[in-house]
Amino acid sequence: MAFDADQRAELRLKFAEFAETRDQNTRNELIEAHIGLAEYLARRFSNRGEALDDLVQVASVGLLKAVDRFEPDRGVEFSTYATHTIVGELKRHFRDKGWAVRAPRRMQELYLRLGKVIGELSQELGRSPTIPELAAEAQVSEEEVLEAMEAGQAYRFASLDAPSPGGNDDDGDTMGALLGADDKEMAEAERRASLQPLISLLPQREQTILHFRFFEGLTQSEIATRLGISQMHVSRLLARSLAQLRAAAEDN
Amino acid sequence: MSKAGRADGAGGLDEIRLELPASPEFLRLARVTATGLASRLGFTFDDVEDLRLAIDELCFALIGHGAEGTVRLQYRVHPQALEIEGTLTGPIVEPPKLTEWSDQILTALVDEHEVSGGENQATFRLLKRRVMG
Repeated sequence: MAFDADQRAELRLKFAEFAETRDQNTRNELIEAHIGLAEYLARRFSNRGEALDDLVQVASVGLLKAVDRFEPDRGVEFSTYATHTIVGELKRHFRDKGWAVRAPRRMQELYLRLGKVIGELSQELGRSPTIPELAAEAQVSEEEVLEAMEAGQAYRFASLDAPSPGGNDDDGDTMGALLGADDKEMAEAERRASLQPLISLLPQREQTILHFRFFEGLTQSEIATRLGISQMHVSRLLARSLAQLRAAAEDN
Repeated sequence: MSKAGRADGAGGLDEIRLELPASPEFLRLARVTATGLASRLGFTFDDVEDLRLAIDELCFALIGHGAEGTVRLQYRVHPQALEIEGTLTGPIVEPPKLTEWSDQILTALVDEHEVSGGENQATFRLLKRRVMG
């Protein structure tokens, strides 16, 4: 994370330039140059039961805010300033979750099991199952199914790259192919919503899911089929992406 | 939580009311109540998940800017749809306003949605119909 004297001088110039021009390319360069700081800070919070990838994204939102708000002529080093902003963002992330984070272990396990049941039932029925159907198949009550869905949202134990519950996560080639076709349309829609910088911070898979759900109107099940991941995984990624976009857009 | 309506269908809808402090940590209760009712109505897993996202999005518009006070939620159970109204009472720092993006998301998630706000009160409303597969 440490920069040498030349790099520091170069970054200072870039910040001065950005303060002047608000140029998006400069902004992206500044974000990229400091992404290591976001990762480093995210790691310090990673022993609290949340996947590191999730925390890195929260930290990246903090970094983005820091780059946008930093005033180079105040005489504070950017890394000092950004550390405060990023840690603040991480703390807020945990605070907002409140007691929902402490989902009982039994619910975490049911959540994982449900992922499989949903996949099987959807295939059998040719549509998304209802909650009573899920409960009957999993041999639990409807309330337990709903509780487990909540637990799944609050508790993201699976890393983005880890296999999803009940899904076969083989999306290496598919994703690239899918993205290529939709780039133009996606870019246009994003520009309109002026969320481009925020959306482009999300991993490609989340970008694709957002596009399918909100710009093409596919259902969560249809997206799951197209990407070859489980429906629950789609749902979890959607919920998280939206929460992150909200957090990032809050101060803009 | 109180049940304000009647279950016998004699001229009225079932209505459930829930009052929460205006703080993100209680949003879970707003969601759980909604999904419980949606499940009773026979919503699919997909639709229940969409409903949860919509509630998050609308509640954020209402209390996302550090609101204080109380949020009153009213859940109206129609024969084929769930209608939810949220009202924030207290000094309104920032009237709820949906970004173009939020608006687009909500259009995809629910059948009807709106937000409005004045000096001392802000509200949202959503309606999601049951789709039979």
